[in-house]
Amino acid sequence: MEALVIGSGIAGMACAVRLARQGIHTTLVSPAPSEHSESVMAAGGINATLQGNDDGDSVESHVLDTLKGGCFIGGEKAVKGLCEHGEEIIRYLESIGTVFSVDSENKPVRRAFGGQSHKRTYYCGSSTGKQIVSALVMEARRFEAVGMITRRLRLNFYSALIKDGVCCGALLFNDSSSRLEAFYSDFTVIATGGQNALFGKTTGSTLCDGYAAGKLFMQGAELKNLEFIQYHPTTLETPQKKMLISEAVRGEGGRLFYLENGERVYFMEEKYGEKGNLMTRDLISREIYACGKEAFLDISFLDGKTIDERLSEVRDICMKYRGIDIKKEPIPVSPSVHFFMGGLAVHLNHETNIENLFAVGECASIYHGANRLGGNSLLSAMYSGFVAGTEIAGRTSHRKYPDLTAYMEGERKNLKKSFDSKSTFPVFYIRDMLAETMKDDLGIVRDEKSLEAGLSDIGYYLSIAEKIRYDRSVPPYFNYSLKAILTIAGATVYSARERRESRGAHYRSDHTDTKEEYAYSSIVSYGNGDYTVRLDKEQIYES
Amino acid sequence: MKVSVLRRKEPDKEPYWESFSYDGPEENTVAGLLDYINYNDDIINDKGEKTTRIGWECSCMQGMCGACAMIVNDRPVLACEAFLKDFEGQEITLKPLSRFPVIHDLIVDRSGIHESLKENNVYIGEYRPPEDKDFEQDYTSAKCLKCGLCIEVCPRYTDGRKFYGAPFANDCYLVASRNREKSGEISEAYDEHFKSECAYDLACMKICPMGIKLTASMKKLNTLKRETGENS
Ligand SMILES: Cc1cc2nc3c(=O)[nH]c(=O)nc-3n(C[C@H](O)[C@H](O)[C@H](O)COP(=O)(O)OP(=O)(O)OC[C@H]3O[C@@H](n4cnc5c(N)ncnc54)[C@H](O)[C@@H]3O)c2cc1C
Ligand code: SF4
Ligand code: FES
Repeated sequence: MEALVIGSGIAGMACAVRLARQGIHTTLVSPAPSEHSESVMAAGGINATLQGNDDGDSVESHVLDTLKGGCFIGGEKAVKGLCEHGEEIIRYLESIGTVFSVDSENKPVRRAFGGQSHKRTYYCGSSTGKQIVSALVMEARRFEAVGMITRRLRLNFYSALIKDGVCCGALLFNDSSSRLEAFYSDFTVIATGGQNALFGKTTGSTLCDGYAAGKLFMQGAELKNLEFIQYHPTTLETPQKKMLISEAVRGEGGRLFYLENGERVYFMEEKYGEKGNLMTRDLISREIYACGKEAFLDISFLDGKTIDERLSEVRDICMKYRGIDIKKEPIPVSPSVHFFMGGLAVHLNHETNIENLFAVGECASIYHGANRLGGNSLLSAMYSGFVAGTEIAGRTSHRKYPDLTAYMEGERKNLKKSFDSKSTFPVFYIRDMLAETMKDDLGIVRDEKSLEAGLSDIGYYLSIAEKIRYDRSVPPYFNYSLKAILTIAGATVYSARERRESRGAHYRSDHTDTKEEYAYSSIVSYGNGDYTVRLDKEQIYES
Repeated sequence: MKVSVLRRKEPDKEPYWESFSYDGPEENTVAGLLDYINYNDDIINDKGEKTTRIGWECSCMQGMCGACAMIVNDRPVLACEAFLKDFEGQEITLKPLSRFPVIHDLIVDRSGIHESLKENNVYIGEYRPPEDKDFEQDYTSAKCLKCGLCIEVCPRYTDGRKFYGAPFANDCYLVASRNREKSGEISEAYDEHFKSECAYDLACMKICPMGIKLTASMKKLNTLKRETGENS
């Protein structure tokens, strides 16, 4: 049996390691090494309910917080599975050498994170994601050394090989040879991260662009809850990107304020009381948006040693990129796109609606509903990788691979033909326009008019994308990925238009109420250039 | 500002210099500058000729992933945290790292770093840490980006066949500090591929963007090796 995992962040590696451990040869492909994945950027921590957490904390409470944060459209069964495995995942991560921050008795310590009733976010100094990646890279290396995992770099997803609704591998674009390679496998796992490129630059990695999910959508995979996009309330503006100011700052007591006539107005505390600064991200983002003034986050009152120990990454970012000393002055902050709750629709075992095609990590949509709690995505990246790995290992494959030569040749020809051009119309230009459209029309606050405008713009970009030839000075991946990125962008705006209510991260100024009739996940499918959205009332993905 | 880039179309093609004039924000980093040049509709060099976009790698754009390592004015840096204002004069030169095969323009193939670790079984296996875990040292060592800046400045590094440089030593330390029973075996690989050649120049430590204290790891490795030697 042969498995193919596409994407080597935390979710992809967790899946590959689980597969290899169970004796399944796994090929792990990505354009760049795991050290370059977005996972290394996660700073704040990973949630879990362990023996010894605060009195009153329990798996049930973690489940409830997660469902509540997700406005009760995250699947209950799925979330239960996620939270029940928190302890196992932390223990596993310790056992592969993840350097958790510990107390004097060598027990991992926790911090408070927004939207949670108890302190349950375990962390590794201020580089939790990087520490987990380093540990997983070593664990994967153990299986690479015995030939159970084969890592391949400079490979990008191109399309899935699908015959009669069953996936049997993928076409991959090799950056080194500039050619398409067919890779047959019994099971294929997509672990390509979030859809950052839709918004140009986000807090995350430039390698995450939503192409794989978009292309699979065009090939028949269903997408879910695309309209729910998390804006992180506290990011720092720099010339090259908006940089995340970790929620850990608020966890350690950081206070949000704006200035009115030279006086500080602690708007979150004034409106929501003592725990105001720890409210969920969507709410704080909206409050910052609503105040219409520059917001600041102050942590300067904390003692320098604690800042050095627990918030060194934030301290360094502010100093390096803006010359701000957080021990002395507040940090100017504004909201920015940060996390995608939506993605490939998957069942509890992480299989998509296409047989033998799985999705894990941020590119899959299942646990976070209408909004994700900080610290839950590292947990879900690990957990989803394990679930898919275990599921695949429990299956048998009796199939002979179908003959897809004609499809592959067709795609090779299409790609070649599109290179055969002197056109230099830059794909970056359209990507930039798309990002502007998405930011304008699918911002923190949306309405029918802005969404209609967004759809019409994207329709126009799609019509150009059909006609242009590739600018040869741009890496081919950027070029061939354009259409699917535009298509998933269209599906996202369409899903947002169809949800005529406000819920979690989706806020509509023309439908401000949360409505019972919409208390379900949205599922979008694609056919002949059209999108169809339905609500998953039968909860088919909760099975 | 004049920006000269040492470019190369493909691995086996000859390198050549091409210059650009940059009129973007002064507070930018080199990564910001590259984005600025590349995001124009047409890329025009300083002779007014149309040219191709400059190839370079990035991911995090904030010094956390190591993708953008390159040489700026003869200084190996992470482009996304190298500020233009910190380079003197009205011209900067950008070159790919010189110790790795060039793939395209400023993109190099650093897979050798990973290969050497794999070939020498530098993985933990079973987790059996020594009693006195050194959190600080473990934590910073695990932050290694495998960016290759340290290799670029190492006076002993040649072709990467025998001596593998600091990232190799880092991971050896991490294995020994997590599985005391493997410290003997790992020390042998470390001796052969690092210690025996290392001239203690320590340029690697000075350049490391993660501030990894290699000397502390080396000391620890020696102690762990002695201890396992005594116990076996
Ligand atoms: C700044 C920041 C801080 C965060 N902090 C936290 C936190 O404290 N706690 C928390 O729980 N979560 C946090 N998150 C979210 C969390 O980091 C991510 O959700 C999680 O790491 C996603 O992991 P992943 O494995 O799904 O994807 P990624 O780590 O994004 O990996 C995606 C992989 O897919 C590859 N890939 C992409 N496209 C293709 C393609 N077309 N073909 C082949 N390969 C491809 C990439 O190269 C990469 O290897 C944070 C995110 C950011 C940006
Ligand atoms: S030791 Fe430092 S300089 Fe060397 S690869 Fe690791 S992070 Fe880069
Ligand atoms: S892009 Fe990640 S270190 Fe520069």
